[in-house]
Amino acid sequence: MTEIVRDQTMAPAELPVAETGRDFRVPFGLVLVALACVAPLFLGNYPLHAIIIALIFLLPAHGLNLLLGYTGLLSLAQAAFFGIGAYTSALLAVHFGTPFYLNFLAAGVVTGAVALPLGIPALRLRATSFVMCTLGFVIIGQAIAKNWISLTRGDMGLAAIPKPYFALGPASFTVSGTVGFYYLVLAIAALATLAVYLIVRSPAGRNMIAIRENETLAESVGIPTWYYKLVVFMISAAFAGFGGSLYAHYLTVVSPLTFQMYYSTTMLIIVLGGGAGTISGVIFGSLLFVGLTEALRVAPELRMIAYGFFLLGLVFWFPSGFAPLIGRFWSFLEKRK
Amino acid sequence: MNGLPILDISGLCKSYGAVRAVDGVDLHVDRGEICGLIGPNGSGKSTFFDCVTGLARPSAGAVKLDGQDITGWSLNDIAREGRMLRSFQKTVVFSALDIEENLVIAGQMFTFPGILSTFGIGAAARNRVAALRERARELIKIAGLWDVRFQPAGKLSGGQQKLIQFASMLMPEPKLILLDEPMAGINPKLIERVVDSIRLANTSFGVSFLIIEHNIDVVTSLCKRVVVLDQGRKLAEGTPDEIVQNQAVREAYLGG
Repeated sequence: MTEIVRDQTMAPAELPVAETGRDFRVPFGLVLVALACVAPLFLGNYPLHAIIIALIFLLPAHGLNLLLGYTGLLSLAQAAFFGIGAYTSALLAVHFGTPFYLNFLAAGVVTGAVALPLGIPALRLRATSFVMCTLGFVIIGQAIAKNWISLTRGDMGLAAIPKPYFALGPASFTVSGTVGFYYLVLAIAALATLAVYLIVRSPAGRNMIAIRENETLAESVGIPTWYYKLVVFMISAAFAGFGGSLYAHYLTVVSPLTFQMYYSTTMLIIVLGGGAGTISGVIFGSLLFVGLTEALRVAPELRMIAYGFFLLGLVFWFPSGFAPLIGRFWSFLEKRK
Repeated sequence: MNGLPILDISGLCKSYGAVRAVDGVDLHVDRGEICGLIGPNGSGKSTFFDCVTGLARPSAGAVKLDGQDITGWSLNDIAREGRMLRSFQKTVVFSALDIEENLVIAGQMFTFPGILSTFGIGAAARNRVAALRERARELIKIAGLWDVRFQPAGKLSGGQQKLIQFASMLMPEPKLILLDEPMAGINPKLIERVVDSIRLANTSFGVSFLIIEHNIDVVTSLCKRVVVLDQGRKLAEGTPDEIVQNQAVREAYLGG
């Protein structure tokens, strides 16, 4: 009898991360999705703009979460791949006038491909050296964007990137305006979340977690850790590239500033603050941190200081991010039932 | 079954600079045998294990598994085949994961070889995962860990972690398991359970064992043949009784 009871109450342990496995609770998730769908009805353009930025940053954050939260590799290179994605889309759109979906796909494919030659030497390094190496990628990316003037127009950047437009045979459609872009980004963010969910739940995802938990043990049970790390590095780069593409098409300008360390740290804060190794935590993190930077604009002089204090508080009181809080909230609800 | 030993090691050497940690050791494990490997601290037992299982590269010598030369293969190359698995002296488990997850991971690479086939899409893949879980649950029951199976493995006692590690190694149905001090640091009650599990795996699943162990009672009860290493060389070989009587072995242990 006790056996049966245990089976029901402990069901979440079936999920890949036993302790933080409460990633998706169907009803709550549905309410959130419904809210997200009707948000433009009651939100003004400015909050909508902030949510769009949050959802754009969710993509590289998802990628970083796969790498850091699930495979245990700390990388600061997300901004580099974000920039490469942005420039890939911008160059295609400006020079060849290709439709949005092509630019978008190209951004992901190109960044994924660039990550291969970068990942092969970088992943041979030990933990701290790997972090420094990925930091180097951002600096190199920015230097190239600044100095390859014939291609990137240097510090002037690329302007007048067209708004996303879709062409299917004779029909074409341009996404203009904040509301249209909001739905586009929402759909892509939802797809990306689904992709991460499927990866994490699969046997491959379980192997990634095994690598995070103990690499030598993972090798001893036959997991080809080196290939896994390389593939996950490429996937996480592709996610950043997709984000960069959206960023370019949303702001319609890209400049070498797209490659900045600040973006890498933002993505890192989203993942660590939200809860590395959880999907809901990262979604929450991206909304919270992007929302917070926007909200703090009311006091421009104090903004970064307040942000800093907020992070300090986070580290002291929620060292493993907000996800455990969400988990505790769920178990609280379950106990009351 | 043929008479070929499952593991056949000849002239294995490992030097670190001028130090010869393992110096020309010959050792074989017969099919279905539980073979003991003992020796004083620093005698080269663990280095020997590392060289056999690919964690370290032997400087010289040959390792044959099931008649196949696997000298110089990496730990991962060997593990991926699932024929020979090893445990570590310092027990390691995937701490954040529960026992079932630990076992499923241990069996996965043999169910889903390659990378692209591991995304688990489709009914066939799901059935395979279900089968893995089924086997994992069976082994958890055999290991007597059923009541704690949903706890993170890292929160369990050292002895329970040893049992998890042992059960994990049975997931891919290996032919040979190398255990590095399976009884170190676990309480006497659990020692019996680990001994029973080893014996059960040996008789019911036909797994052969090579075991490094300091606990002489365990060695005597499990092994029919014991090899003694001292200063990287093979000092003696024989039945546990012979070894206990052996003068050279006594001197080595007493530092004589």
